[in-house]
Amino acid sequence: MNNKRASCRVSHSRRRGQPVERDFRQHHNQGVWREVQEERRQESIPRGVCLSMCPIRELQDREAQNLLHRFEVLSGTERERWPRADPSGVVKEYARPAAGKDSTRPSDLRPPAVLLKTVFYLVDNIAASPTLRPWTEVYDFVFDRLRSVRQDMIIQRVSGADCVAVLERTVRFLIYASYRLCGEPLRLYDPRINDTHLQESLSWLLECYTSGKHPNQEEFQALGLLYNLGSSRATQHTMELPERIRSSPVMHLALSVSRAFMERNPVRLLRLAHSLDFLQSCALHRHLETCRRDLLLIYSHGHSSKNCRFPLHKLAHILALDVPLTNQLCQAHGVEVRGDYVVFSKTSFTEPEAGKLQCAHFHDLVDRKQRDLTVGSIIHGCT
Amino acid sequence: MLLTCSQVYEAIDNHEGSFCAELLSFKHPHVANPRLQLASPEEKCQQVLEVPYDEMVAAHLRCTYAVSNHDFVEAYKCQTLVVQYPFGISGDYFGYIFSSLPIPEGFDDCRMIFQAEQQLLRKGKGKLGDMLEKAAEQLMGCFRVCASDNRAGIDDSKKWGMLFLINQLFKIYFKINKLHLCKPLIRAIDSSNLKDDYSMAQRVTYKYYVGRKAMFDSDYKPAEEYLSFSFQHCHRSSQRNKRMILIYLLPVKMLLGHMPNHQLLRKYDLMQFADVTKAVSEGNLLLLNEALAKHETFFIRCGIFLILEKLKIITYRNLFKKVYQLLKTHQLPLDAFLVALKMMQVEEVDIDEVQCILANLICEGHIKGYISHQHQKLVVSKANPFPLLSSSS
Repeated sequence: MNNKRASCRVSHSRRRGQPVERDFRQHHNQGVWREVQEERRQESIPRGVCLSMCPIRELQDREAQNLLHRFEVLSGTERERWPRADPSGVVKEYARPAAGKDSTRPSDLRPPAVLLKTVFYLVDNIAASPTLRPWTEVYDFVFDRLRSVRQDMIIQRVSGADCVAVLERTVRFLIYASYRLCGEPLRLYDPRINDTHLQESLSWLLECYTSGKHPNQEEFQALGLLYNLGSSRATQHTMELPERIRSSPVMHLALSVSRAFMERNPVRLLRLAHSLDFLQSCALHRHLETCRRDLLLIYSHGHSSKNCRFPLHKLAHILALDVPLTNQLCQAHGVEVRGDYVVFSKTSFTEPEAGKLQCAHFHDLVDRKQRDLTVGSIIHGCT
Repeated sequence: MLLTCSQVYEAIDNHEGSFCAELLSFKHPHVANPRLQLASPEEKCQQVLEVPYDEMVAAHLRCTYAVSNHDFVEAYKCQTLVVQYPFGISGDYFGYIFSSLPIPEGFDDCRMIFQAEQQLLRKGKGKLGDMLEKAAEQLMGCFRVCASDNRAGIDDSKKWGMLFLINQLFKIYFKINKLHLCKPLIRAIDSSNLKDDYSMAQRVTYKYYVGRKAMFDSDYKPAEEYLSFSFQHCHRSSQRNKRMILIYLLPVKMLLGHMPNHQLLRKYDLMQFADVTKAVSEGNLLLLNEALAKHETFFIRCGIFLILEKLKIITYRNLFKKVYQLLKTHQLPLDAFLVALKMMQVEEVDIDEVQCILANLICEGHIKGYISHQHQKLVVSKANPFPLLSSSS
């Protein structure tokens, strides 16, 4: 700041020598804060005016460059060299913000009502469609277009009920997908990317809940807790919720599951898991592997004796699996099975080799809850 | 007004860093003086003080003005200016005054930051934690300057400011719940050769936060060490601080099997722990659940509710030990444990769960023995089947 000073003694004459510099600095510091405040007041939030699911400009561009998605193409023109766009099916895609690109043009932004309409279209006509296949492609399309919807929401600073309606469906979709696509090869579905977006959307949603009244709050607080089972952050967050939310039946159940997990009581946890509904089971399912492993570990130590004869069918019942799968699970964990009995031993338990066990094979606990639920009702939440 | 400025000037001139710090701090009574609460004190300051002190003092005075008007957001902005100055200057002639400069006091006014935060929230602007995060960023900047100061000799080194800044950063990180950010700071201190030479007050605060972090990470033995150190070396007169340390030390000690006595709880007004302690040592699950429910709000607010829930395992162990002592045999029917749990009004528990709880206790080393499913019995070791908690945790 001041490299010309040689000594630190006050000297009136020397200081007066640079009034211009001093005045500038003084005004600068005083003025800076005030300027910033002014700027913020004048800054306007972009408001979208695009009334269709995709801005006209983008539709025309992508059609001309043959960049339409298979689901956006006018039926009958798929095989042509330049497939035509189906105006009722083209949806604005996600585009990374880039330098020089103005993402705040009102004609390119969709207002909240249109965003919600878009989400409904994506759920009812794409995700829940009984004919579109394979579902990994359906997922990719919906995932990307939902991301674009969230982007429009962020740019326009959408909040309140509109925001909540979009985010709730997004979270349900991503949780459902995490279960349905579990086990698909990495090139078709990456669970980590799904997880990142799910966590982001969930955090945003939970933050929206902090102001105003939202009828589905308990459902999503419970889903958040189950999906993030074992996380101290998520558990602490739940403990800090108001009493009336925590004491609701859906939260009570989720908290019991969480408690059972924290106390390392897999028997109780698996028993409680039977009472969860389909979507809650989807949220929980990735923790079941740990849960079952814990049970085998605990029992290996607790029942460790030469004469141990633990009935296999009993173990299967506790694990909520059928007998063949139980056998497979035991073998993967080094637990010895002799005919109809399991011989637990603390020295023989081992962690399974990475990738040896496929979660997807052990989905029965969740599967049987789907019954006649439609994808649409799962995502819209009218189960 | 001029008098204060010349006091500052004298303090700087005479290298009385701590006095200077007081004059620029909010704890000093001078801030209540309405004659010092000026919107534009720059000119007056310039008359007496040299650059950059004049601006620093001017900013401080603008700050007092803002606070008197309850405009904490503006106050915070002024305060950040105050603390920025010493860092903006090259260390050559400045460095030797540095070590006890206003920096500690300026940042000690963290509560001002919290107040500014509350104000912003009330106005509906900004997310919770925004202001705190910005403050943390600034502090981090200052910290980096301190940590990388290799020029001056050890007496004048900026490194002395490190622990203080770290403690302020800890305060903020705990408040915004981003504890993982504490790790690099802890590493920095661990590798510093000054770590045992900082003032005791700073070390007590440091160990308090590190202890809490260890608790959060479930490292109970190190947590006990840090928090015990903090408690023992905390000054006798700081009852409030000692109580705060105890709030976290007690659960850790209980998990390791050491129950506090009533005298201690009464002395520090922590009777909320009394029922919990009683329940755990008696193995009374019912009382434990009731005690946790009764003081739930307090425990959640302090962030220890989840840790206290872990005491359930210890309580199970104590309860089952009673069953063993009652039956006086080494082959205990599982049914006996089920009866004990039902007496404690534990909901929906069946024999499978009893097996699981027992198996877990064996796995954790709290019981020495094994379960025989065929005979539906728990067979315990003839020698010391229920080892001391402190040895098995």
